[in-house]
Amino acid sequence: MHDVAKHDDSKAQYFWVWGALLVLTAVEVVLGYKQIFEPVRMLEALLVLSVIKSALIIGYFMHLKFETAIMRWLLVTAVVGCFIIMYFFFFPDAGRILNLGVH
Amino acid sequence: MATPASVHAHAPQGFIRKYIFSLDHKVIGIQYFFLALTAVFVGMFLSLLMRIHLIWPTASLPLVGTIQPETYLSLLTMHGTIMVFFVLTTAPQGGFGNYFLPIQIGAPDMAFPVLNMLSFWTTFVGFVVIICAFFVTGGAPLHGWTGYAPLSALPSAGPGEQLGADLWITSIAIFCIASLLGALNFLTTTLDMRAKGMTMMRMPLTCWSWFITAILGLLAFGVLLSAGILLLMDRNLGTSFYVPLVVVNGQVMGHKGGSPLLWQHLFWFFGHPEVYIAILPGMGVTSQILSTFSRKPIFGYRAMVYAMLSIGFFGFMVWGHHMFMSGMSPYSAFAFSILTMCIGVPSAIKTFNWLGTMYKGRIRFSTPMLYAIGFVSLFVSGGLSGPFLAQPVLDIQLHDTYFVVGHFHLIMGVAAIFGIFAATYYWFPKMFGRMMNETWGKLHFFLTLAGTYAIFMPMHYLGMAGQTRRYSQFTEVAYQTKLLPLQTFMTYAAFITIAAQLIFVINLFWSMFKGPKASDNPWESTTLEWTTSTPPPHDNFGGVTPVVHHGPYEYGVPGAAKDYVMQTDPATSTAH
Amino acid sequence: MSNATLEHGAVEHGMPGAYEAPLFGAYSKKVGMWLFLASDSLTFGALLFAFSYNRIYTAWPTPFHAASIANATIMTACLLSSSLTMVMAVFAAQRGDRAWTRNWLLATMVFGTAFIVLHGMEWTKLIGEGLTIPGFPKPASAAAGELADVSKNVPQFPATFFGLTAMHMLHVTIGVIYLGVVAFRKWFLPVLGVLWIAGYFLIPSDNVFHYGVHALGLGLLVAAIILFLKPKDYDAHDVEVAGLYWHFVDLVWMFIFPLVYLMSTRIS
Repeated sequence: MHDVAKHDDSKAQYFWVWGALLVLTAVEVVLGYKQIFEPVRMLEALLVLSVIKSALIIGYFMHLKFETAIMRWLLVTAVVGCFIIMYFFFFPDAGRILNLGVH
Repeated sequence: MATPASVHAHAPQGFIRKYIFSLDHKVIGIQYFFLALTAVFVGMFLSLLMRIHLIWPTASLPLVGTIQPETYLSLLTMHGTIMVFFVLTTAPQGGFGNYFLPIQIGAPDMAFPVLNMLSFWTTFVGFVVIICAFFVTGGAPLHGWTGYAPLSALPSAGPGEQLGADLWITSIAIFCIASLLGALNFLTTTLDMRAKGMTMMRMPLTCWSWFITAILGLLAFGVLLSAGILLLMDRNLGTSFYVPLVVVNGQVMGHKGGSPLLWQHLFWFFGHPEVYIAILPGMGVTSQILSTFSRKPIFGYRAMVYAMLSIGFFGFMVWGHHMFMSGMSPYSAFAFSILTMCIGVPSAIKTFNWLGTMYKGRIRFSTPMLYAIGFVSLFVSGGLSGPFLAQPVLDIQLHDTYFVVGHFHLIMGVAAIFGIFAATYYWFPKMFGRMMNETWGKLHFFLTLAGTYAIFMPMHYLGMAGQTRRYSQFTEVAYQTKLLPLQTFMTYAAFITIAAQLIFVINLFWSMFKGPKASDNPWESTTLEWTTSTPPPHDNFGGVTPVVHHGPYEYGVPGAAKDYVMQTDPATSTAH
Repeated sequence: MSNATLEHGAVEHGMPGAYEAPLFGAYSKKVGMWLFLASDSLTFGALLFAFSYNRIYTAWPTPFHAASIANATIMTACLLSSSLTMVMAVFAAQRGDRAWTRNWLLATMVFGTAFIVLHGMEWTKLIGEGLTIPGFPKPASAAAGELADVSKNVPQFPATFFGLTAMHMLHVTIGVIYLGVVAFRKWFLPVLGVLWIAGYFLIPSDNVFHYGVHALGLGLLVAAIILFLKPKDYDAHDVEVAGLYWHFVDLVWMFIFPLVYLMSTRIS
């Protein structure tokens, strides 16, 4: 029987992950307040932090790190692939409307 | 929310648990089949009304009276929606997929039987809701099956855009949920429940096609769901996701700042995979039938699998070719054009493999085989106009004309329907335990093939001659009246084709009760569903789990006792 | 005879020999949930793209003051902590410790409910100050003010804000109901029913949650159907699968929080 408890993971690492997530959230909030970066840089910084946070959640809390490689890769590439395709085709249009002045 | 997975252990007793709220994938498959059969007749009736209105716009018909121009748009919308969602998506995947996927991979049931039942009943509710749209104030919506905003987002835009449009969107949203629950069930079943020896590369191509269709459904329907939710918000909560500043009948609407293009992007991100959701199961069935009735292994099994996978893969990157007319970025249009033409490659691989399968085969021209050949024919003649439409320059000329109508009806509509017919004639003996009548089947085939070509081929000429889509009355436009004889011809062809479908229905129900009893393997086919009894017992294989030793299409094997080797035959009977 | 096969087929794959090894190496329920989450992430992805699509070409307002951000940060912490208690619940379930499984699940539900309540209060406050969309019931105070101007000048802002967070709140609500059913089975249904009816009568009718509370009714219906069809004891696998869903809800918030709140912070 498949048993997730077999991994050599102790509970402690989940507390570490939880702490890391809280710290990253704090960093995000501080970034939001201090506004060190201009908006676009800030967006990039926030998104990078969010991706790190979600990777922690997916990898540890949701245990994907401990699943088989084929499951990891298929799921992640399918979803991320769709987002990338959407990104490359949606935004040229959104920006183009800005330039055309259609509001 | 996923339901826990486990299987009902006993065959259920009592009519309701056995036939209505059944957890048995076979019963659910038949329920889907009959839902699609009902839907296809509703859709066909609507198309008949449209064809009549096109040539006799002022005629007063029994029951419906005189069709108004806006009613024509309602008919068009509901015809498209019902056909695409409740027939082309429901019958091949929900119907035959549900029935035969578990049997063909040697499983006792789907991975999540309760979820399977809920999927069906959710679909059913969706169908009821969309039918209700006919009977509310204002009638059915006008915005076409694509529901382009802002027309679909403004209740004041037309009579059908009131409650009818809300019901339409609600129905689509319900259908999305049902389909994505169904899709994850299909995927889990295929991944987890294959019998011993049934490796992925030994699955029949039908299973591969259902599997890939389920991947597309899983990734595409979620996007349509959120697009629909936003559209409902625009309509009922006054937000402006899709609606720019817009004036209707001289009145400024309260919206501003939205983008109709956003709806088109989200819709077609779902919509193009949806085309493959409709056609891929047909491809799988055709491969299965061509191989069986040519008594030859399928030509290039692996190539077929990879071709289907790449069709699915490219299917997600080409949605923009529906939007060349929309003012989309020309750079995206260029990329979409190239990617669209890439799909021609795997499609051609499949076509040549089908021809290669039939080449020098000992072909048995039974009705399923005829329909499979018909599928290939329609796939080619409908597909060839695809590369034309993939060119933005040509597409701008042809997009809003009958050329596109002819194109998608041939390849996505009728070809997929031929796949469904082929599957019906092929699997009917297994599903209902009796054979269908061959003579009537063949008559049905020839009438339908000739009839559909007679309806949809002239549309290409009409389109190139400049006849526009979605116009309800060509009789009032001087330069269009010259083309009316062709429209009249198409309407008469439609009468004959629709009448021919009555042959099918009579044959279906007559054979269900009066047809000759079918043996366990009437077509001498090799896949697992033909190893079990007819119709299959509740757990499909009567308590044993089959063990698979062979690929799915071992026909005409040299040195074997028969001209075919069942997948479950012992490994020693042939060198493998 | 057939019973053994059937039970085996979909539940476990422990019996060697009868089936091919599952491709993803996990039991079916987990695979199914992962696939659902893949689909759901595209649902949210499409919403986020719709948000960004509007965001990119409009002069986007930055109306969130410190109070809103502080509130949202507490909500984030609630969700993150609920994920931790959920992990503990899964561990307890795997130990076979039923009491602690239930306790940890209850803790997760409390954090989740806290999130919903905080978020609901935040919504009510924002709507009261004028950040609203035309379809919402409007309290009298919403007529004027800075946020009312935002709603008037950039309707995309409240539309995307309420659209995204409502969808997420709906998912959290479904999650709490899901966990409640896993933890307490049919005994959770009356609790849900009471909450639904109480919510409907106690929340004033000019508040949007007067109508939103019907999501609980819908949840009650679906949960009742599922419990009727499959009245069973939930095991460690069910808890783990419920956990997957719960963590996913947490994950989505990790994108909504920075995009919706932090990118619209007002520095006074």
